[in-house]
Amino acid sequence: MDGIEQVSPTEICPDRSQLVSEDGKNTKSVLCQWCGSKVLCPGTALFAEKELFLPSMRKKTESESIALTEGSVDGETLTAHWLVDDMYTFENVGFTKDVGKVKYLICADCEIGPIGWHCLDDKKSFYVALERVNHA
Amino acid sequence: MDPRYDIQRRGAGGSGAGSPALTGAQARRRKMPPRPADYKLQVIIIGSRGVGKTSLMERFTDDTFCEACKSTVGVDFKIKTVELRGKKIRLQIWDTAGQERFNSITSAYYRGAKGIVLVYDITKQETFDDLPKWMKMIDKYASEDAELLLVGNKLDCETDRTISRQQGERFASRISGMRFCEASAKDNFNVDEIFLKLVNDILNKLPLEDLHSELSSSILSLQPEPEVPPELPPPRLRCC
Repeated sequence: MDGIEQVSPTEICPDRSQLVSEDGKNTKSVLCQWCGSKVLCPGTALFAEKELFLPSMRKKTESESIALTEGSVDGETLTAHWLVDDMYTFENVGFTKDVGKVKYLICADCEIGPIGWHCLDDKKSFYVALERVNHA
Repeated sequence: MDPRYDIQRRGAGGSGAGSPALTGAQARRRKMPPRPADYKLQVIIIGSRGVGKTSLMERFTDDTFCEACKSTVGVDFKIKTVELRGKKIRLQIWDTAGQERFNSITSAYYRGAKGIVLVYDITKQETFDDLPKWMKMIDKYASEDAELLLVGNKLDCETDRTISRQQGERFASRISGMRFCEASAKDNFNVDEIFLKLVNDILNKLPLEDLHSELSSSILSLQPEPEVPPELPPPRLRCC
């Protein structure tokens, strides 16, 4: 369940194959869906599949203190992610305070999120869910 | 002269381990991502409760200032990228809001910081009176060569001003190397400038030879762990 499979691009559905290069990296910039802030530059993240629960996206104005505790929140389990191993790979990103052993990733500018996931036990894995970002 | 302008501790003039000339080749060898950041710098924002630290961080990050969004619940820190002098600089910005009691901000926040933004509210005397206490914390924990910037925030509330610009200037002038400015996170007055100036000052001070080694060792772990030096090896990875 926690294994990170690197999926070869040929197994990826058509629209995804446009996003993933032959060496498994993102061909396009990864942007915030809400404000367009750049999260990752092209070629900086690996496509990875891992089942991760992310609470629903909300704008912070709607809910200041997002109850990010798993179980009490709606959310969804997402499997397609961009994976980076160093937080300084990000152009712009925000980290929430710890929720258990997890920090959620949010947009650094508008703070919408969570757009991604990081577990404190694995300092070299930062995931950004494909479904929660735009590509351009 | 200020010791911080002295020859850098490591490898000045010598071809030490982290010679910058190698970085291009190293990058290729290590399969670094395209155009990695040239520098990585840690910046912390401190000051008493309610002075607008978080607004400053947000304002710098974008045009999303929102009066209803003042609470800091949730955000721990941000990675932001700026370009200056043709260099790409990643800032790791820590907003310490929520931990304003002087001693509750762990020394780890200070230790790795290359830039410290100390904020007070020009309409609140007590936030100005607190500055010496914050300076004590800086003296105690921060690196001697950290760049300091004093910010009188809430310039948009000029009519309620209780701290004159001169008072702020005077305070800053008594501390060697401390810059001063007034700003309004609400209307974004001076906010970008503050951060860019700070970054510029930090870059001026960084010994070129040392940049890469220096920076890689100055990266704090995600959770500031007060008594654990950042260079300690991480605990064994566990499955999550």
